Order: sequence, then C-alpha cells, then structure tokens
Amino acid sequence: MAKLAAKCLMAGDPAVGKSALAQMFCNDGSHFQKNYTLTTGVEMLVKNVAIPETNSIVELFIFDSAGKELFSEVLEKLWEHPNVLCVVYDVTSEQSFNNCAKWLEKLRAQALGINLPGVLVGNKTDLIGRRVVEQKQAQEWAQNHGLEYCETSVKEMENFEAPFHILANSFHRLYQEKRGETAKQK
Amino acid sequence: MKLRDPCLSSEGAEVILATSSDEKYPPENIIDGNSETFWTTTGMFPQEFIISFHKCIRFSKLTILCYLVQTIRIEKSLSMDPVDFEKCVEKDLHYSEGELQTEEFSFPDCQATYLRFIIKSGFDHFVSVHRVMVDGMAEDM
Repeated sequence: MAKLAAKCLMAGDPAVGKSALAQMFCNDGSHFQKNYTLTTGVEMLVKNVAIPETNSIVELFIFDSAGKELFSEVLEKLWEHPNVLCVVYDVTSEQSFNNCAKWLEKLRAQALGINLPGVLVGNKTDLIGRRVVEQKQAQEWAQNHGLEYCETSVKEMENFEAPFHILANSFHRLYQEKRGETAKQK
Repeated sequence: MKLRDPCLSSEGAEVILATSSDEKYPPENIIDGNSETFWTTTGMFPQEFIISFHKCIRFSKLTILCYLVQTIRIEKSLSMDPVDFEKCVEKDLHYSEGELQTEEFSFPDCQATYLRFIIKSGFDHFVSVHRVMVDGMAEDM
C-alpha cells in the first residue's frame, strides 16, 4: 500500500464554479454554495481518493485559486511545485473557454520539463439553453493540449467527482511508471 | 572503536521518520547496504527522513546515493532525542538522467546521534534515496 500526495492546482476565469466544484467534492456533495463569494488568493482543500483495484490512496491538496487577474502575482508563489492541474470553464461563456489556453500556460510554466497530468472541466451543463461551447469542440481542444476532459453540473451534483478521480488515477499511474524506471537505475 | 560504516541497520542505525510511505519501498532500504533497493517519495515536497545511530558517531565524510533530487539539506543533532537539529549543508544537485546521483559531503570532524535529510525539491514528481554512507566510527558514550 502506498499513500501518495498531489498538489492540485485549480484555475480558470472568475465565477466559472471552481470553488463550488472543489467544495462539493470535498464535502461529498452535501452542500452547494448558492451565493457567490470571490476567492482571494488560494483556498486549500484536502481529500483522499482511493485508487480502484489497489490499496493505494492519493491525498489531493486542492489549491482552489482566484480567477481575478488582481491576484495573479500572489498565485505564482503559491503555485510552486504542482503535481496535477484542473482548468475549469463555463459552458455558457465563450470567453471563459478561450481563456483556458492562458490559464494552462501559466500553470505549466510552474513546472517546466515535468509531465503534469491535467483535466479540462466544462461546468454549468444544467444551463442547456444558454450553452455556447460544444462538447466536441472542448474535447478536441483538451486532447490537443494533453488534457483529459469532463463536463459537470456542480449545481445538479452531476459528475463533480470525475475530474478529481481522473487526476488521482493519472498521478498514481505516473508514480507506478516512475518507480519502474527508478528500479532500473544503477 | 570500529571503522565500519555506522550508517547501516546491521550496525544499529535506524530510520526513525520518513514522510513518504509505500510498503514496497520502505525507508529501511536507505540503510540496508544495497544501492539497488531504495526509499521513494510519493508526492509533494518537501520530504524528509531522519536516521538515528542510537549512539554518538564521529565522521568526516557522508555520501548519498539518490535519484532526481534537486535541493537537499542535511542537518545533525547531538541530543539523545531527535531535537535541536543544526544545519550541516544545503546543496543544489545536478540533474543526471539515467544514472544515480552520488553526492559526497566532507565535514571536518563532525559528531552526531541523528542525521536529518530534507529534500526540498526534485527534478520530477518523485525522487528516491538508495543509500547513505558515512565514513566514521562510533564514539564511546
């Protein structure tokens, strides 16, 4: 049995639902925060994710980061040594989707030369009539940028665990690969 | 007084703390005398481990065999308990892909009952420590 620890950076435009997603996951879907509160700097949440068919656990340290540009300098320091990435956008906002490239670039700049598993999350799928970013388009973009993709409606409590399970499993897979490589070093 | 490496479990040394745990790669592997076995870190930095000699040892050279370690800090304590650590050295190691890092540190006449190794960062998510060797001898307490 192994216990892994991963620093998970969460980023995306303001009000796409990053904090709601992180909090929903960490409190097991018991509470959806209806009122918007602006995240300043970073809020850290911790949760253990069991890896299926193993005895291993990945302890995720989720760094829910402010989306407002105002805090970007503070973030640089708090984002040091990341392990996995979660970029969130709002499927009803074209701009929030277009800005994912910028967020991803900033996150990856924190660990140049290191393979960082990541996931792109399209949130607010419950707003069917207002949707402007199509699933296929986002999925392709994610694939081209080496990210996994999933869609959620945190409000309807749909699929909110998926992004974190994807990240924990990717990190665990990476660990196993790396351990195999290390065992070959002389 | 013996001239063997005191940093071996067979000589009474023990790893009393390690911040990562995977039962396949236990911290005891650092002091088993075999560089093919290792202790691995399992995620976020910093990471650390503490070796207890259970006696005072006097040494002049320390060698660590590791993989993908970027910044390491070594501290020592002369107390009976693992407290009051003092810095011995802090160093940025070179990246060497495909082979273990062998890093030698010289200390003029150093004494310790505990050694603490803090790995502040790595060249990858996970790093490993294969051996710690000490050129020294046990002192009579």
